[in-house]
Amino acid sequence: MSSPFHPFTVRSHRWLLLALLVAVGSFSLPEPAAAARISDITETNIVDRAVRFFTMQDRSLRYALIGSLLLGVSCGLMGAFLVVRKLALMSDSLSHAVLPGVALGFLWTMTKNPFAIFIGATIAGLLGAGVVQAIRSTTKQKEDASLGFVLAAFYAVGICLMTMIQNLPGGSKSGLDKFMFGQVAALSQDDILLLGGVTLLAVLLIFIFYKEFLLTSFDPSFARSAGLPTQIFHYLLMLLLAFSIVASLQAVGVILVAAMLVIPAASAYLLTDRMGWMLMLSAIFGMCSGAVGAFFSFVGRNLPTGPLMVMAAAVVFVLALFFGPRHGIFARWWRHRSRSKRIQRENTLKAIYRILESEQFLDQSVSLTELAEHRRETIEEASHQLHDLKQCGLVTMTADRQSSVFTPAGWQRACEIVRNHRLWELYLTNAANYASDHVHEDAERIEHVLGEEMVRKLERRLQFAHRDPHGKLIPSQADIQSGGPTPRSSEAAVGYGAGPPEEPLR
Amino acid sequence: MKSSAGTETDIPLEVHDLSVAYHKKPVLYGIDVQIEPGNLVGIVGPNGAGKSTLIKAIMGLLPLTSGWVKVFGKSYKQNCSRVGYVPQRESVDWDFPVNVLDVVLMGRFGRLRLGQRPRAHDRHVAMECLEKVQMLPYARRQIGNLSGGQQQRVFLARALAQESDLYLMDEPFVGVDAATEAAIITLLRELKSRDKTVLVVHHDLSTAKEYFDQLLLLNMRLIAYGRAENVFTPEILQTTYGGRLNILSEVVQTLGGPRP
Amino acid sequence: MKDLIPPFDFEQVMVAPWTTGLEGTIWIVLMGALVGIACGIIGNFLLLRRMALVGDAISHSILLGLILAFLIFRNAGTGVMFLGALLSGVATVAIIEFIHKQSRVKIDAAICIAFTTLFAIGVTLVSAAETAGPVHIDAECVLYGEIGFVIFEPPAKLGNVVLGPTSVVRMAIVTLLLLAAVILFYKELVITSFDGGLAKAMGMRTGLWHYGLMVALSLVVVSAFESVGAVLAVAMLIVPAMFGSQLSNRLPVRLVLTSLHAIVSAVLGYHLAIWLECSIAGAMVVVGSLLFVAAWFGTMAAARWHHSVSKAEQTGRQTPDSLPMTHS
Repeated sequence: MSSPFHPFTVRSHRWLLLALLVAVGSFSLPEPAAAARISDITETNIVDRAVRFFTMQDRSLRYALIGSLLLGVSCGLMGAFLVVRKLALMSDSLSHAVLPGVALGFLWTMTKNPFAIFIGATIAGLLGAGVVQAIRSTTKQKEDASLGFVLAAFYAVGICLMTMIQNLPGGSKSGLDKFMFGQVAALSQDDILLLGGVTLLAVLLIFIFYKEFLLTSFDPSFARSAGLPTQIFHYLLMLLLAFSIVASLQAVGVILVAAMLVIPAASAYLLTDRMGWMLMLSAIFGMCSGAVGAFFSFVGRNLPTGPLMVMAAAVVFVLALFFGPRHGIFARWWRHRSRSKRIQRENTLKAIYRILESEQFLDQSVSLTELAEHRRETIEEASHQLHDLKQCGLVTMTADRQSSVFTPAGWQRACEIVRNHRLWELYLTNAANYASDHVHEDAERIEHVLGEEMVRKLERRLQFAHRDPHGKLIPSQADIQSGGPTPRSSEAAVGYGAGPPEEPLR
Repeated sequence: MKSSAGTETDIPLEVHDLSVAYHKKPVLYGIDVQIEPGNLVGIVGPNGAGKSTLIKAIMGLLPLTSGWVKVFGKSYKQNCSRVGYVPQRESVDWDFPVNVLDVVLMGRFGRLRLGQRPRAHDRHVAMECLEKVQMLPYARRQIGNLSGGQQQRVFLARALAQESDLYLMDEPFVGVDAATEAAIITLLRELKSRDKTVLVVHHDLSTAKEYFDQLLLLNMRLIAYGRAENVFTPEILQTTYGGRLNILSEVVQTLGGPRP
Repeated sequence: MKDLIPPFDFEQVMVAPWTTGLEGTIWIVLMGALVGIACGIIGNFLLLRRMALVGDAISHSILLGLILAFLIFRNAGTGVMFLGALLSGVATVAIIEFIHKQSRVKIDAAICIAFTTLFAIGVTLVSAAETAGPVHIDAECVLYGEIGFVIFEPPAKLGNVVLGPTSVVRMAIVTLLLLAAVILFYKELVITSFDGGLAKAMGMRTGLWHYGLMVALSLVVVSAFESVGAVLAVAMLIVPAMFGSQLSNRLPVRLVLTSLHAIVSAVLGYHLAIWLECSIAGAMVVVGSLLFVAAWFGTMAAARWHHSVSKAEQTGRQTPDSLPMTHS
């Protein structure tokens, strides 16, 4: 079994991703033909548009698709670390903080030059992170306040710059407004190269430093004590985060980038218990949401892409939340229900045992009316329970369907339950000094969850006693193996309170 | 299982079959105890034994998975004005913009209606309580600028301002200086002389017998309750701290179900 | 680049608004100040309860509530707006808690997931409605509002008396109600924020106060929405309150400082916006942020000066034993 620090399983995931990247990257090789702009596409029919999207005939559509896949991978990978390090709101703050950098980057070249914008935005993002740290360390302001301040202040500066840019000649055609909610259709080849580069960098660094990132995320103090430079890895992660945010800005928009970082990763978080798988799933969910968002944006006549990608990711999250096989709400409900049904079944078995016992096991069958009376319920309910037991092969019914008899399996389980109950009662009264009115209710709960190992321990502890505090016989191993109830002779049978109980054990 | 609304009695606290679970894992199991009035009771046990949980469960701050609690014969909700509470110091943000007097006045809020301002009488009581803990000179100081011992005394003053008959205190002696410790003991003895009952979660076994009349030994379940000299025996201590009942703990843990 | 910043004409930027443009200025500045005061007061309690980013969340998700209310009732009246805001505010908090309690997703991720999803749905609806037909809210407005539009609004009237533009009057009423509520329930708000355990032990229904605060927050944000938009509403919630908390240790003083901050930011921000020809709300927040930075550096400098002064004093005499330790 591989330890969590051994990236053996992860390596295989990483090769897969690298292969994918190479395939995707080959699409973005420059071609001599002139690029078609999305606005040139005049098909109005939805089906036609869909077909056009998937056949990837147009360069700009291809860019849109590749761009969304790439950003899905990079956001997914970074997001996985954000979620486990509880930095979701830091990413929200940073993604708003980059806005002034975008504006300044634009101003530097007066065009929507992706590289200028990338540099400007990254600087703004890192500055924002620095200010958060500064406020935290020099004032008594709390974490949420510092994050909120940077988010608000930087964003406001960005908004002012954006509105000022709009006043400039050529400003309103800057395309900067697309940075708010994202428009994947506006991605150019340079944007794709940038995205590809960032994603590649993220994949490489995570591949190389997997165990360091894992340990510093899980237990930073231990990591430090083991000599790892925790701070450096933290800053490295922040840098990669900034890159991912900035590269994805144009496709998803400033406000919703945080969502693309957090939501696919949170879905992965709910579906797996291993970090390697979480990274993998997170990247896959990111890619799917990205592609779906891009698709619907195109089909819907260039609706902003960001919101659509986020909604796709949210659908995945809701599915994981409710239907995740291990942690999903539905799965837990189902387990709870099976558990309740099992307990119900065992209680019926116990009731049948008790009825037979009260007759010293002379009669082998229990009628519906007896059962209903013993459990204080209606005939219908008793019948339903017996039927359920029959389905599980624990009893058989007589021809007239009025009485039932234990099968060997049913007898075994009934003995075990009764034994557990009585052993536990004995333990509580003798060894644990419990008040007598607790003991029975307690045993009602415990009898269903006592494992065999624990039963052996109890038997040893109680020195293999024969009778419970009320003097009733505790079924032994021999009884269980006997395959069915056997009538007890009068000396051995002890009913309710009949005969003196044995000396209580210490 | 709920008890019916009872009549007012002298018994400050009665607990029956109380169980509390945290994420389905039982932390307290089947606690049954009746506290005698006018006593200083120390609650001791190992870490994680559920001592703070017991206090919080009594006050309804945590949900019970079984059992009930009666304070002076009635439910806690009905008699909450008769109970004073001193929580752990780390439960609040000491940078909060209130001064010492503001905090002590909070003890009076239970007696004020919605929207009602603290009255002159409330202020008077608050000052008196500050006097009792020797913190009156600090009345206008912001609470962050106090030492650990001083913060503890402010909390005590607040509980005193509640003018209760039963006091529940959660580890008041942790991290305080010797002077404060002595002051707290004096205060407790004074409360006892006025027939108040005090339950104190105590972290330090070596001083438990000296400080308290009665001891309540807890380790997920009630091990013993009684006069300090009777209960402070090697055998009982072994049971509380020595893990002799690990079958019980192990089995009871499985009630929470298998780990997902 | 040099075209970006218009020349600073003192007459035009600082004087004209108060003379020729007085009527417009009054309403705009008043609106900005009211938004700042209302958001700032609630913001103080959000900061005390460490819920600043929940405020962020609600400011975003409110868009969905508004657009749904508009689409269902087909009108954008005040009552409809408030209803939409209230429902989305409560829904956001409920969803966050649902995700957090029912799964192992931590609270920070839960907040992020809830509000971004609701916001995304809201934006999509707005954009779809925009292309489908005329809509009262537009996407840009969502982000940073347009406070300047208040002067174009039809005036609200009380009988025959013209009070002022509708949204300003509405904001004023909301602000006054908020002030009244804070004064009336001051001690309950303080104790539930400071020591929830004690409050509950005393019989107060802390859950109710929590949701009550969220409802008040939703109503304040929705009233401010059209003027300042989603994200700048967040700024108004956080920045004035931080200014107050940086400068004072007493809650009543903080509330007063917050209000002063709001007024000054509104006035100076308006001037800044005239000069730079940029978003007015954005400028107000920028000024507010600078005020906070001034307070921040000011307190640091004061602490350092104080420290060097007391060090100089200490070299002269012994430190008495009974000096209380500063809580660190």
